[in-house]
Amino acid sequence: MGNYRLKNYLICSLILLGMMLFPLFNNNFVIRFGTDILMFAIMASAWNIIGGYTGYASFGNVVFFGIGAYVTAILMEKAGLNFAVAFVLSGFGAALFAILIGLPVLRLRGHYFAIATLGVAEAMKALVQNLELTEGNSGIYLPMLDLSVKSQYYFFFYMMLGTLVVTLLVTYLILKAKFGYSLIAIREDEDAANSVGINTTYAKTMAFALSGFFTGLAGSIYAYQQAFIKPGPVFTVGTTVKMIVMAVFGGIGQLFGPLLGAFCIEIISEVLSNYFLAIHTLFFGAVVILAIVFTPKGMIDIASQKKFGLAYFLQNIRENRV
Amino acid sequence: MVILEGRNITKKFAGLVAVDRVDFKLHKGEILGLIGPNGAGKTTMVNVIAGIYAPTEGDVFFKEKNISGLKPYQIGRLGIGRTFQIVKPFPGMTVRENASVGAMFGARGKGRSARQAEKKAEEILDFVGLGDQMDVRADQLNVASRKRLEVAKALAMGPDVVLFDEVMAGLNFSEIDRAIDLIRKVRDSGITILIIEHVMRAIKRVCDRIFVLHHGQKIADGSTDAVLADENVIQAYLGKRYKALVG
Repeated sequence: MGNYRLKNYLICSLILLGMMLFPLFNNNFVIRFGTDILMFAIMASAWNIIGGYTGYASFGNVVFFGIGAYVTAILMEKAGLNFAVAFVLSGFGAALFAILIGLPVLRLRGHYFAIATLGVAEAMKALVQNLELTEGNSGIYLPMLDLSVKSQYYFFFYMMLGTLVVTLLVTYLILKAKFGYSLIAIREDEDAANSVGINTTYAKTMAFALSGFFTGLAGSIYAYQQAFIKPGPVFTVGTTVKMIVMAVFGGIGQLFGPLLGAFCIEIISEVLSNYFLAIHTLFFGAVVILAIVFTPKGMIDIASQKKFGLAYFLQNIRENRV
Repeated sequence: MVILEGRNITKKFAGLVAVDRVDFKLHKGEILGLIGPNGAGKTTMVNVIAGIYAPTEGDVFFKEKNISGLKPYQIGRLGIGRTFQIVKPFPGMTVRENASVGAMFGARGKGRSARQAEKKAEEILDFVGLGDQMDVRADQLNVASRKRLEVAKALAMGPDVVLFDEVMAGLNFSEIDRAIDLIRKVRDSGITILIIEHVMRAIKRVCDRIFVLHHGQKIADGSTDAVLADENVIQAYLGKRYKALVG
């Protein structure tokens, strides 16, 4: 047991070290690509807290991303705050919104919850498009980061990496704590969870808030990186879908599943668009469908079980599909 | 001493009166049976006590504190554990984890770490006879074991009162005998029991007192022997054949 844990720590440290050294050996384009993967890894991991562990499939998590981006833009551009302050407040802003919206919306279950969260995100987009504070559809420019080009790439890469590490660390600590048990119990049977003494409303809302917090942080870094944001791209449903696909592809309810998912999906999508620019989304869809049909537990399951081959696939399908 | 009391409990679903002005008292240390035909309002009664529904009228008192209208988790933390008629395990968790959740969040959960809760859960699982299946996933268990797990989850909470909603339904003869032994063991450990059951053999062997619901109303209340001999109860629930059998 001790040996096993040591091995896991070692693997994690090596992967982290690899990620930290990554920008030193690559050009700006590749660093930027890595930054994108990390951003989606944060969002997919954050989605995993509410969608994977708690079992509430949110289809509106992009709203936290958008709020994070806009809070940063407004605080920096209009209130003149520096990025560090805006970054932290973006997380808390998104979390606060998650609590406010979660209290009514988390009373719904299953499909109803999914549809309600989708609605919230769309409504928020419309709101941001029409408010004066957010400058509507014309968007907001942010102050530029005053660094050399190379350093800028480094800065955003390491911001994303740091945020991802914190997201995963917090998720890990939650899983070890009683709070983690309460989330999984809610996913497995909410009524039973309530009856054994779990304050389900509190637990769900906190999970949603945490999910919002980290997604908001990703949004904040994104806004600063782009230096210009507008509602359309920031609040697009596509981003939510991507988070979910990555989490499912990598392994729902698994700590490193969404990270692996983000990594695989971004690379597959990049390679496909290189070869089949016009119809790459078609191939992309096919790859996702195949992966989900054949490995319903996600790629992380294959990676950790070290099982391949037909027998494993058949067993997997039997256990999870029929 | 009365540990759990219902006064004038009424629960209406739109026009349907599921439970109609029912009074009952549960004394510390006893096993009280709740019987009645299907649809009599037994499970609704348990759901009112456990906080799933707030009573339309009337009040539930636990240790002289009015608990009507509290949420299920609050009632669970106060010290009332319950099982579900249609069992509700946490299917993707192991048996040990299932019981641990009860030990973590129930009446004695406060200040208990996840590790300590696991210890407690193992104790309880040994007690209910699931000691050799702790690492099995709950959805892999057979019916009898699922019922036991349901009991274990409730007991792990460290309750003063447990509500058993048909824990013997679907069990065979020898399983019922073992379930009866278990229920007695639970009582001997100092826990007061309210039990809903259709298995008459079990009712007769474990209950100190019984009360009977019919169309939501209480039609009898008293010692087990007296209630089972009651003409109204035989008419409404047991049937003439039962009377002929008992003589």
